[in-house]
Amino acid sequence: MHMTMDELTVGQTGAVKAINAPKQLKRRLMDMGFTKGVGVEVVKMAPMGDPMEVTVRGYHLCLRKAEASVIELR
Amino acid sequence: MQTLALIGNPNCGKTTLFNLLTGTSAYVGNWPGVTVEKKEGMTNGHRILDLPGIYSLSPYSPEEKLSRRYILDEQPDLIIDVIDATNLERSLYLTNQLAELGRPLLLVLNMEDLLEKEGITIDAKRLSQMTGAPVVQISASKGTGIEALQAQIEKSLSEKKLPLCPLFSNFVERYISEIIGDDYLHQIPKGRQMRWAAIKLIEADELFLSSMPAPPPAFKTYIEKARKELEAHFEDDPEAIIIDQRYKVAEHIAKDCQIKKKTKKGFEFDSIATHRFAAIPLFLAIMAGVFYLSIGLVGGYTTPLLEELFAFLGEQVHLIADRFGVFPLLSGILADGIIAGVGAVLTFVPQLFVLFLLLSILEDCGYMARIAFIMDRMMRTLGLSGKSIIPLVIGTGCSVPAIMSSRTIEHQKQRELTVIVTPFIPCGAKMPVFALMLTYFFPGKWFIAPMIYLLGIVAVVVTGLLARALDRHKETNAFILELPRYQLPSPRNTWLQTRERTLGFIQKAGTIILLSSVIIYLLSSYSFTLQAVDAEQSMLAMLGKLIAPIFAPLGFGFWQASVALLTGIAAKESIVSTLSVTIGTANLGALFTSDSALSYMTFILLSSPCIAAISAMFKELGSKRKLLYAVLWQTGFAYLAALLVRLIVLLTL
Repeated sequence: MHMTMDELTVGQTGAVKAINAPKQLKRRLMDMGFTKGVGVEVVKMAPMGDPMEVTVRGYHLCLRKAEASVIELR
Repeated sequence: MQTLALIGNPNCGKTTLFNLLTGTSAYVGNWPGVTVEKKEGMTNGHRILDLPGIYSLSPYSPEEKLSRRYILDEQPDLIIDVIDATNLERSLYLTNQLAELGRPLLLVLNMEDLLEKEGITIDAKRLSQMTGAPVVQISASKGTGIEALQAQIEKSLSEKKLPLCPLFSNFVERYISEIIGDDYLHQIPKGRQMRWAAIKLIEADELFLSSMPAPPPAFKTYIEKARKELEAHFEDDPEAIIIDQRYKVAEHIAKDCQIKKKTKKGFEFDSIATHRFAAIPLFLAIMAGVFYLSIGLVGGYTTPLLEELFAFLGEQVHLIADRFGVFPLLSGILADGIIAGVGAVLTFVPQLFVLFLLLSILEDCGYMARIAFIMDRMMRTLGLSGKSIIPLVIGTGCSVPAIMSSRTIEHQKQRELTVIVTPFIPCGAKMPVFALMLTYFFPGKWFIAPMIYLLGIVAVVVTGLLARALDRHKETNAFILELPRYQLPSPRNTWLQTRERTLGFIQKAGTIILLSSVIIYLLSSYSFTLQAVDAEQSMLAMLGKLIAPIFAPLGFGFWQASVALLTGIAAKESIVSTLSVTIGTANLGALFTSDSALSYMTFILLSSPCIAAISAMFKELGSKRKLLYAVLWQTGFAYLAALLVRLIVLLTL
């Protein structure tokens, strides 16, 4: 198993390899810009360590670790 | 008449632009998902629609389905795609999908004023060449570029020029053109484009497939073969391939049209706003500050002044009436009905104005989405979502927009739970009741007012924990939220929003409250045989005495309190006006005691909201049964909590 986005710590970057999620969530994440090869950076963690704030395609997005864990990085 | 449709990503400024074009003041804020329903207006003799913000035209989310169905079925004469210019690439992903719908398209680059600060330059001419759609640069919040936009709208409407469809890689295009060549494609509903339909077939889009007759077997086999070949080539499912292709086109256009310079970042408010330890205390401090400024500082100063003013006016009416021998019924209606009732409500206008002003600034500056971010973990333990905090904050102003704003919560159960708990947060209209009771029974005891809000929060927590305990399927769910840029609230916008809400409150005082004050006065002055009688023998007293015994255990089993609660269903401000007509604000102590005053406040705080909020709840819950449960829960909880509060007070004091 490869690294997933929830394993990144603040300041770390990665590139999306695949999204391993049911159809609906996969479409949602891809619609928000998480397509193959796109770069992501973890900007911040919420006070209790979840959710996380990331930048993708130049904008800021927050998502829970559960959702971040379906995004596989290379 | 021609129709324009405003469409674009959430929080790109569609509604601000809509307000500018139509001269209205529809609700705007700075978090994704403020507009949850389509709004209609007129501009320059054209019908214009403001659609909810969407990232895509996928067949999954309700807003996306609504926008997509609207454009396909209603065939607007012009689609106005509002683009957040600082977020070009992602915006173009939606533009690419809109271009395929076969309607004339106009691109509006909004937030032009922010580009310089962000170090971005956009070549609008090049963008127009690449998309085949005219491009206009504006700043909706500053109000610049609107004339050019209006001129371009007229031009686009007369030209009816279609935009260019984004072209995908050759491998994909080959299948698209083969599918378009098939006879089956001629069966697509009127107004749909062949290319669009072909792409939908490749994606196996559920909504599209269900709108088409069953394909002939040979064609069906062909589509399946094409999907398999695409999957094998790209090592992904066809739906994902298409998204990927669209984003590639968006990347390509964005790269060609914009230059991004690295900007240096100075001090960021965000570093405190979402700080590990400081974030939650800061949020609580900000909310406390909002209430202190509006209720404590401004309200504490203006309320007594206005009370005196209305008392003086009432006396004057009686004096003048006596001198000129006016029929006492008339002077009674005016002084003891209208001035007492409406005045009791109008007293709160200054502090509500400040509350609405501060809330509007909070909503506009981009902080709301951060609150959702920092509170999500905590809210989740209550079976709610981080996004539930937005309705709860807005609910301190008015429950109706608050309940509606819960619609962006993805998960149905969390959304419904949010709808049920939002009215526990006391709205601006409940404030007059608390203020009236507190100043009469607990003068100088400032700490009771915050405890009312605390009690509201406790009710939210208890309901949440209970719902979570009862929920057998503890499913996890999505929480994906764009965090908008912080911005200084635009004075124009803040003023519009604040004025709108304050005027709404005053208007209610001039209509519902006025009418109910007169009716209450008449009902409390006459008996069923239409004899002028003492209040105790009046129609109102008779009616009130029917339900009053229910409240006897709570300590307010007298008819005046019950009648006030009933009128509170129309509007919560009515409680104050009814109490002041039937008892008189200066005589509350004749009937209430400090324990029954506290239990009365508790009951009002937690029981079902006013009729407007109940109908908003109905709309969001979508079923009468769920609404009934919600109202029963709220009222039952209120009754028990009021009983408990009274017992605690009686036992300890």
